[in-house]
Amino acid sequence: MLKRSWVVGVGLASMLLGMLLVFQFRTETNVKTYLPQFKTVSELGIKWSRMQTDLNKKEEELQRLRQQLKDYNRDAELKSLRMAAGVTALRGPGVEITLTDVTRPLRSYEDPNLFIVHYDQLELLVNELWAAGAEAVAINGVRLVAQTGFSCAGTTILVGNKKLAPPYVIRAIGDPQTLKAALTIPGGYLESQILPFELGITIKQENSLYLPPYKGSSVFTYAEEVPEEIEEMFTGEEEEGDEREGENGILLEGEPVVEGEEL
Amino acid sequence: MLLVPLFGVGLGVGIGLLLPWEIPITYKSYTALAILATVDAIFGGMRAQLEENFIFSKFMVSFFANAILAVALAYFGNILGIDIYMGAVVAFSIRLFNNLSLIREFLIIRYWRRGSQK
Repeated sequence: MLKRSWVVGVGLASMLLGMLLVFQFRTETNVKTYLPQFKTVSELGIKWSRMQTDLNKKEEELQRLRQQLKDYNRDAELKSLRMAAGVTALRGPGVEITLTDVTRPLRSYEDPNLFIVHYDQLELLVNELWAAGAEAVAINGVRLVAQTGFSCAGTTILVGNKKLAPPYVIRAIGDPQTLKAALTIPGGYLESQILPFELGITIKQENSLYLPPYKGSSVFTYAEEVPEEIEEMFTGEEEEGDEREGENGILLEGEPVVEGEEL
Repeated sequence: MLLVPLFGVGLGVGIGLLLPWEIPITYKSYTALAILATVDAIFGGMRAQLEENFIFSKFMVSFFANAILAVALAYFGNILGIDIYMGAVVAFSIRLFNNLSLIREFLIIRYWRRGSQK
């Protein structure tokens, strides 16, 4: 009763159906493993638009960073860093201050120790100059840099590792009027440190001063540079810490646990 | 008679599991139509067998013609942005239920006849 052609035809069709079902099932399983959280097209659409917005933002950022990279001028930055480090000779307007020990003969009862220039007076003068916006300072041709310190060395003053003797000529580049005003302000450096001891001082405003470069070595044996990303991480942590402290210590109790998890 | 399609599907599933292929996600809607077309062909073939007017060439031609028309509809619907393939799905489903009801009638009638003969 069953024709052979029928068996072949329907059998083939059934086989095809079975294979199609398997392939389709496989595709569907894959889809569900890759996109398990989405059941409808609209959810996918929302996700898509969200990602599109993200992408736009990132592209804007990229644009901005590219612009920054384009604007970044290596030579200019290097120049300003070299100027700040003090390894280049500088010139510009500023003040020239000459400090000398007392000039008149001392009386027998006067302590000569009070009437000479001490290292702390020099230090205070330089501090005052920095505070007044001096951009570079040199004493007797010794350029002051980050490592420079002042110390007393008998009758001389040690600036950095150079022994200096009076007269001390301090040259500072900056706004001449501001620098002079900072020293001569009533109750300021001049009145408290110089006049009581009758030290000799002249403050000259100059239009063009020459400051020699720093001549010492800068060798770093122990110090190591911190990469910029890590630096940002550290500052980020500090800010977070401040926020936590601000919240009345409620979060402080949970903090060690959190850190433990991170470790 | 029912055993042939069942056996065929089983064999197809076995072969499908052995083959590593899968359907690209873009062609998902087409597979749906292809599945419907094959199911329709199987039911149609069963009905024809019961009516005893099954012709192999007719079966094959109608199977492929239906499938190709359905896929073409889906393709153009995709291009035009309209779900025309829905029409094919509905048409196939209606045919399916029609065929199923006829097959059911035939089987019941045959069963009754058998019962009355005994």
